[in-house]
Amino acid sequence: MATFSSANPWIAILKGLWVSIRHFFGNLGLFLRGRQDFAIHFPEQRLVQPPALRGMPVLAQMADGKERCVACGLCEWACPTSCITIYPAETADEVERYPEIFDIDMSRCMFCGLCEEACPEEAIIMSRQIEIASYSRRGSLWHKADLLVPVNQLKTRTDYLRRNYER
Amino acid sequence: MSAEKPEEKAPAAPELSPLLEKVLARLGDRVLAHRTARGDDRIHVARERILEVVRILRDDPELNFDLLLDVTAIDYFGQPDDFETKLQVWDRNRATMRRLPQRRHELALPPRGSEPRFAVVYHLTSTRLAHRLRIKCRVPEDDPKLASVTPVWPAANWLERETWDLYGIVFDGHPDLRRIYLYEEFVGHPLRKDYAKHGEQPIQEYVGPGAKEPRRPH
Amino acid sequence: MLDPERKNPAVPIEGNPAAALEELHTPPMRLQFGPSHPATHGTVKITLDLEGEQVVWSDVEVGYLHRGFEKECETGYYYQNIPYTDRLNYSSPILNNTGYCMAVEKLFGIATPERCNYIRVIGCELSRMADHMLCIGASAMELAAFTPMLYLIEGRELILDMVDSLCGARVTTNFVRIGGVSADMPANFADFARPRLDRALKLFEDADKLLTENPVFRQRMEGTGYLSREDLVAWGVTGPMLRAGGEPYDVRKVHPYLVYGELDFDVPVGEHSDNFDRYLVRLEEFRQSRRLILQCLEGIPDGPVDADDPRVRWPGKGRVFNRMEELIDQFKLVTEGGMPPAGEVYHAVEAANGELGFYIVSDGTGKPWKCRCRAPSFSNMSPLSKMITGGQLADVVPTFGMINMIGGECDR
Repeated sequence: MATFSSANPWIAILKGLWVSIRHFFGNLGLFLRGRQDFAIHFPEQRLVQPPALRGMPVLAQMADGKERCVACGLCEWACPTSCITIYPAETADEVERYPEIFDIDMSRCMFCGLCEEACPEEAIIMSRQIEIASYSRRGSLWHKADLLVPVNQLKTRTDYLRRNYER
Repeated sequence: MSAEKPEEKAPAAPELSPLLEKVLARLGDRVLAHRTARGDDRIHVARERILEVVRILRDDPELNFDLLLDVTAIDYFGQPDDFETKLQVWDRNRATMRRLPQRRHELALPPRGSEPRFAVVYHLTSTRLAHRLRIKCRVPEDDPKLASVTPVWPAANWLERETWDLYGIVFDGHPDLRRIYLYEEFVGHPLRKDYAKHGEQPIQEYVGPGAKEPRRPH
Repeated sequence: MLDPERKNPAVPIEGNPAAALEELHTPPMRLQFGPSHPATHGTVKITLDLEGEQVVWSDVEVGYLHRGFEKECETGYYYQNIPYTDRLNYSSPILNNTGYCMAVEKLFGIATPERCNYIRVIGCELSRMADHMLCIGASAMELAAFTPMLYLIEGRELILDMVDSLCGARVTTNFVRIGGVSADMPANFADFARPRLDRALKLFEDADKLLTENPVFRQRMEGTGYLSREDLVAWGVTGPMLRAGGEPYDVRKVHPYLVYGELDFDVPVGEHSDNFDRYLVRLEEFRQSRRLILQCLEGIPDGPVDADDPRVRWPGKGRVFNRMEELIDQFKLVTEGGMPPAGEVYHAVEAANGELGFYIVSDGTGKPWKCRCRAPSFSNMSPLSKMITGGQLADVVPTFGMINMIGGECDR
């Protein structure tokens, strides 16, 4: 175990003071040299997040404005909190099925990312969106129209995911 | 599902693990059944003899189980240990069991078996010899009682309170058996399989010290 | 409800307080310490009977964060319970993920690849570092030493940055999967991690300099919360608390799992079994964790991170998109879960506070029949009443702080 200097306790206190003073002048020097990142002023400045960030789940929207989802319901099954509700319907398109209703209850979602892992179509993706506050409980129920995000805006996450696709 | 007795299930034991050899030599016929599966050793003990068995296990210098890791219970619903169901891919029972829950978070329960319903499980380890042992005692539903091991390890104090709270198993001789997680007025024991996950509890009036006088009508 | 006449028979009272009360003709003062007290980091109610400053009787009540973890696990598939384990010890979530997933792997009989084991060790040790920093910082703050808290939280942020780049979340990690990890390490992780580890160590050393020799801190910590080595073992205490009592019981050494058997690290052991030794053991464990991470970053091999076992591990997405068999496999695994053979396992890992064990009983379906978590905080909390009875009221705070009770884990 560590050994202690059983010397005068005042010396120990002065040592501690020296640590605090060093930190104070170190930070002051950084401040005077113009380093402004001690605090991040949130709405104006954003934290730099790593590419692995799991934000809220969104639906990928293709170039023709439709969702990529085929309403297979795997994300609904995989979700531990049952926060996803899907009502499938049929369409004359090539994919034949689409979600008529796709709701995510954001007050229950815990951002675990299992829906994204389960999805066989790369249709539900954890975006980098982390601001999900709303003024009412009804507002935390996100419908399909709110959840659709163009695919090219999700590029950071899809690139990150595709790294692990051929495992 | 066949209701096998634990005695019958004890394999012909081609090889005993070194720990079980020592345990069996020391405990003799107090052990009803034993099994080594997936690297874990376990013995079955009649519930009347649990205190006697754990005293031997703790005090014997070759066994020296001085650290009680865990006390918990399992609601087997009368099924035998290890659920010897011999599942196959197209088993009809399994197929229906899987379809039964309409909502995914509901639980499909097997039929009640003939064995005692609960099993109380003790996990022991030795700080000096570094081996682990699991003891199981079957406890029936109509008389869920067992001797407390608190005199042997005080660590069992809270763990047994928790088991009483969540499973309703009474530990005789426990110095302070009351609920630990839930409040005293809670109805039922929530980890029993027949307690509905979304069940609701009646609202209780607070009557303890500091309770307000009932408000008089105007 | 507490009966005012009730005495806790498990806690014998030193001396004869009843006779002392007769002389003084004053009833002891009953103090409710908690459930939400500013000097405790955790939701626990301690009922104290005070004779002056001395605690003559105490009763500890936990359960304010009980949310039915085990009941919840019984109705979810094996893979769905991994996010719930994040919420057990929320200051070191990857350790809980690892413990749960390794128990399920033991049930299936799966061995994970070497690279996966190294990544898990890195995640585990990062979590342990974060947990010890939070424990020491919060305990020091409760003893009115606010500055070390700031340094340690800054260092913890650096560690959480690394956890963030590993798995995309700082606290709710959901990192480890049954038979693998959710994603491989980022390519430049070693270069990302080393300066941050150095900076975190520097901040940690500063907090160490502020605290360890400080006479006020030492007077509050030394000799308080004493429990003899035999009592610690008998009360089922594990982790830094047990090691501070002189018992070198560490699951990483006693039952080596992952790659701990190949790595070089020491297990610090205390002598006096008081709060100060618990603090010192945590200090040293932090440095050992950093050593382990540096060794892992050096020695991590290339290769796959997932066990090639189609019973549990979901197939790679590249194959799910393009091939029928893997697509069917994905559907089966998601809607039915991996189905282990019937049986039961107990697997323990060394969490930040002690032995974290998972006891899983399987009935052969995709959902566990029982999933029991042997929480170290719960067992470590049980002798608290014994440790504080007979001491001063002011000793309750450092004792409770050094137990490092985490509500999510203790109450489950």
